[in-house]
Amino acid sequence: MTPLSEIYSINSKRFIQLAVVSACALVAAAVMAPDRAWSNLLIIAFYATTVSLGAALFLALTYVCGASWNVAFRRVPEAIAVGLFPFGLMLLGVLAMNYKLYEWHPHAEGDPGSLWFKEAWSSPPFWMARAALYLGIWFVLSRTIIGLSRRQDKSGSPRLTLANRRFSAMFLVVFAPTFALACCDWLMLLDPMWFSTIWGVYHFAGMVQATLSVMVLLAVSLRNRGPLAGIFSDDHLHDVGKLLLGFSCFWMYIWFSQYMLIWYTNMPEETSYYLLRTRGPWGPLMIANIVLNWVVPFFVLLPRPCKRSSSVMVRVAAVVLVGRWLDLYLMVFPATVGPTPVLGLAEISAAGLVIGLFGALFYRNFHKSPAVPNADPLLAESLHHHC
Amino acid sequence: MNRRVLLATFEHEHDLLASAIELRKRNYAIVDAFTPYPVHGLDRALGLPPSRLTWVCFVCGMIGALGMLFFEYWVGAISWAVNVGGKPWHSLPSNVPVAFETAVLLAGFGSVFALFAVCRLFPGKQPSPLFERATDDQFVLLLDEADSRFDPSQVLSLLREFNVVDLEERIIKTGEIRKC
Repeated sequence: MTPLSEIYSINSKRFIQLAVVSACALVAAAVMAPDRAWSNLLIIAFYATTVSLGAALFLALTYVCGASWNVAFRRVPEAIAVGLFPFGLMLLGVLAMNYKLYEWHPHAEGDPGSLWFKEAWSSPPFWMARAALYLGIWFVLSRTIIGLSRRQDKSGSPRLTLANRRFSAMFLVVFAPTFALACCDWLMLLDPMWFSTIWGVYHFAGMVQATLSVMVLLAVSLRNRGPLAGIFSDDHLHDVGKLLLGFSCFWMYIWFSQYMLIWYTNMPEETSYYLLRTRGPWGPLMIANIVLNWVVPFFVLLPRPCKRSSSVMVRVAAVVLVGRWLDLYLMVFPATVGPTPVLGLAEISAAGLVIGLFGALFYRNFHKSPAVPNADPLLAESLHHHC
Repeated sequence: MNRRVLLATFEHEHDLLASAIELRKRNYAIVDAFTPYPVHGLDRALGLPPSRLTWVCFVCGMIGALGMLFFEYWVGAISWAVNVGGKPWHSLPSNVPVAFETAVLLAGFGSVFALFAVCRLFPGKQPSPLFERATDDQFVLLLDEADSRFDPSQVLSLLREFNVVDLEERIIKTGEIRKC
């Protein structure tokens, strides 16, 4: 068997190669169509930031519940959540590149006086400062939780678990409003006239779905390659699968709640969003979005044996991750790029870039601490987890 | 039909679990186990087949969803078409919430009542506990003595290893024990 550090370095090297090649391709694509390249950057930066944030949320939720089942593979979400800092910076950079796009009322038409609040809310300095604030808060709290968890490896003190429970509660309380506002700031304002009060919940559902899928892929690959062999059991996989199934249904529920109210009331300022996205070539993509994010995970993950099979789970996770990308694509591209959907060098190289960066960062972070939180008081319970 | 069974009583759940695994490894027939609360891993230790209740739940849910979608279509577009807010006669989005609720309702009721039916449970049924302490603080394993492979001395020595506290032979009617 190859030593662990070698596995990490081989993996990191491959991911870095992928990232470098993709970055070059993306630069070439940006020369041809800068708007399209920027939209892709926004999608991947938001994608990676929310997956990292979702991992922090998973940590916080399980700490607050006093859950033990996830302790055996907790280093996986921890290593994902560490990515919040680099990807958050990347997102800030992407937002700063094109902040003008988010300005309310950019063409000085109509009557700005009646919407003074929206005008002030989306003024660039305040808007950028808020973005930095949200990311800063998430970063500080998630890093505290991860830091205490790693410190426990050395000190072995059960008090650190209790301390983390308190920080996690704090994180959850802060996370809910900031995340809802952040999603509105970064994606809803692309269409400044349009609004949806369920936007934050919608993104919460999609984020958790994507995070769980990433966790499945990484935990299964770590189990196959050694570090989590005999630790990440089928029972753990089963429980993550149940969560994925549940959150897929939740995503569909929220997606439909947003769509149906707008369809029913049929008010012009609300329907504009869906008119653009359900007609012409966007229509089939809208259907594909539902198929990838709900139909496939729902029907495939319903039977118990499927949730316990790593090959099925890995495939479903990959489908959901593509679905999440399509979901974001449908939010961003009709607003920024144009009337017809495009898929080419820019989209593929952006996807390669984010996969490469994410993978390289993950393996680097995972390698930094023991693969299992070996002093956690709940570890024994987690290793004998049955479901 | 009557059946001769051996009742082995344990004080702790892990004794029951370990003895069940060991007995099955040696091909003894375990009729059933009785515990005060659900014991994790016991279904696997007894070698029970996967529950078929999930299929009942799925089929009931599908009947609820598709049946209600069809009913709404029939009501809204065929039998008594009413113009609601200028929407088309057959408007799928407005039909989905009720179809969803019906799916949940039928799936829930379907699985609960299917379970009751399989277990022959109904309101006012007189409980006839075969082993009263299995509803309180003890764990009981039922072994089939009529099985040709049953070797009393081997079984006894094996059960003693797992701290069996009580052994009893009984003749029970097959109908009295029913697998859910």
